[in-house]
Amino acid sequence: MIKIKDWRSYISSIREKDKDINSFLEFADDTSAGTGLISGETLLSRETLLSRVPFGVKDNIAVTGMRLTCGSKMLENFVSPYDATAVAKLKAAGAVPAGKTNLDEFGMGSSTDNSALAVTNNPWDLSRVCGGSSGGSAAAVAAGLVPFALGTDTGGSVRQPASFCGVYGLKPTYGVVSRFGLVAYASSLEVCGIIADTVETTREVFNIIKGKDGNDQTSVEHLPASPEAESIAVLSGELGLSSEVMAGYQKAVDGFKASGYGIIEVELPMLEYGIAAYYTIAMAEASANLARYNGVRYGHRSASAEGFDDLVRKSRDEGFGDEVKLRILLGTYVLRSGFQDQYYTRAQKIRTAVRNEFDKVFGRADLMMMPTFPTAAFRHGNSGLDQFQQKLADKFTVAANLAGIPALSIPVSVENGLPVGMQLMAPVFAEERLFAAADKLALQLPPAVCPGKMEGF
Amino acid sequence: MEQDDLIITAAQAQLELSAEEEGRLAAAVTEMLDYFSKMSEVDVDNLAPTTHALVTDNALRTDTPNQNNNQKELVDRAPDNENNFIVIPNVL
Repeated sequence: MIKIKDWRSYISSIREKDKDINSFLEFADDTSAGTGLISGETLLSRETLLSRVPFGVKDNIAVTGMRLTCGSKMLENFVSPYDATAVAKLKAAGAVPAGKTNLDEFGMGSSTDNSALAVTNNPWDLSRVCGGSSGGSAAAVAAGLVPFALGTDTGGSVRQPASFCGVYGLKPTYGVVSRFGLVAYASSLEVCGIIADTVETTREVFNIIKGKDGNDQTSVEHLPASPEAESIAVLSGELGLSSEVMAGYQKAVDGFKASGYGIIEVELPMLEYGIAAYYTIAMAEASANLARYNGVRYGHRSASAEGFDDLVRKSRDEGFGDEVKLRILLGTYVLRSGFQDQYYTRAQKIRTAVRNEFDKVFGRADLMMMPTFPTAAFRHGNSGLDQFQQKLADKFTVAANLAGIPALSIPVSVENGLPVGMQLMAPVFAEERLFAAADKLALQLPPAVCPGKMEGF
Repeated sequence: MEQDDLIITAAQAQLELSAEEEGRLAAAVTEMLDYFSKMSEVDVDNLAPTTHALVTDNALRTDTPNQNNNQKELVDRAPDNENNFIVIPNVL
């Protein structure tokens, strides 16, 4: 992994390289706290695995003294008073935050184009999106600005941009990485994840940030499951993939076969209902979690408000973008009295059905493979996928969030100049099984390097 | 979603929507709700709801007093504050 000696020249070279990509919203030396991090004498005084290794932090994860915008006008000027647990653990291990990366507003989207603050381009093709919502993190890693970055994954937000940018993206088992310091969107689904350019880096970072945390009552100790695996389940029938993703899919199946894995075809009938259940739960939780932004204690406050109620409503109207408002409205609606059984409770029961189906699959196979997303990176703007189509395309990723299981998006091929990723899923706590399988596949299908990737500083 | 329902929901969500926003969001809200109705096809009679994927026991800890000395830092983040209080427009 890259170790930085001259931090000022490093930051200025990634700042220059990032002009076309726009993956960062803020660099370390934009703030006095960040400048302190990169000029501290402690940087050079001890040698650890991650000492002097820079990393990116999605801007909905807290770093002391740096901004925490969530890609929203609501928090555009908010500076975090503390570190997220994952960030604190990485700092303690010697790694250094290089800056904060762009995202869809509050993590809501699949392109990063829902950011109210910047447009991030895919380093493989600047006319295309980098995926989302952890798009800035994925683009920064693909372009070689940082060897790894933290993201958050509520319904695919680490894996999908990793797939669009040709890098690895790990969504750990729910609760295994503390959510303390993550800005809450859908608390029962989301987890802090890792985007990195190698399996080895993903594994090392995971081993540092995992573990129970007293500041997150839903966090759990990691109880490693067996890394051994002989069989991989795949979905039978038509998957509805673009020709690029289909080509990558076939290569991955062949690559796993050549690595010695048996391929077993299975069915997951509940996958068809996963999207509806996922968005019902995510929006319901979002409506509650985002109620805290009322213009009083922090965040945007409307300048034109008359009276308290007016201040709350105007601040929220001015501070939130369309997609956030849409999700708050739908979440509020499905939780209204009289509608709960029809929507929220039913979605939670379907969630149980999804978990039951995965239990059955993992009774027959050690791992499961699915495409990460049905298409490669789409174009910015109206010629790409619209917001509704993007939601339907989350079909393969949301399942792991509903079931709480770990999943790793692996770059398997480049088709027509665009990277394609496949996600491997495993039973809870079996992250090591994902890493071992990804290592084996990399011998068959070595990950392609993004053209123009920065190497060495 | 009917217009009336949208207005009630927006009020509950403390969102003030302009007429133009109402028009823009109403179609997207209705599109999603129609899609959610797909869930009615699933037989959920014998299924318990899942609230968290990995619920073990209730998470309890000892209630021990603790000192936090970041009060000023937090109050300073309010858009308007005075003498260690957060200022809001008159309520009465």
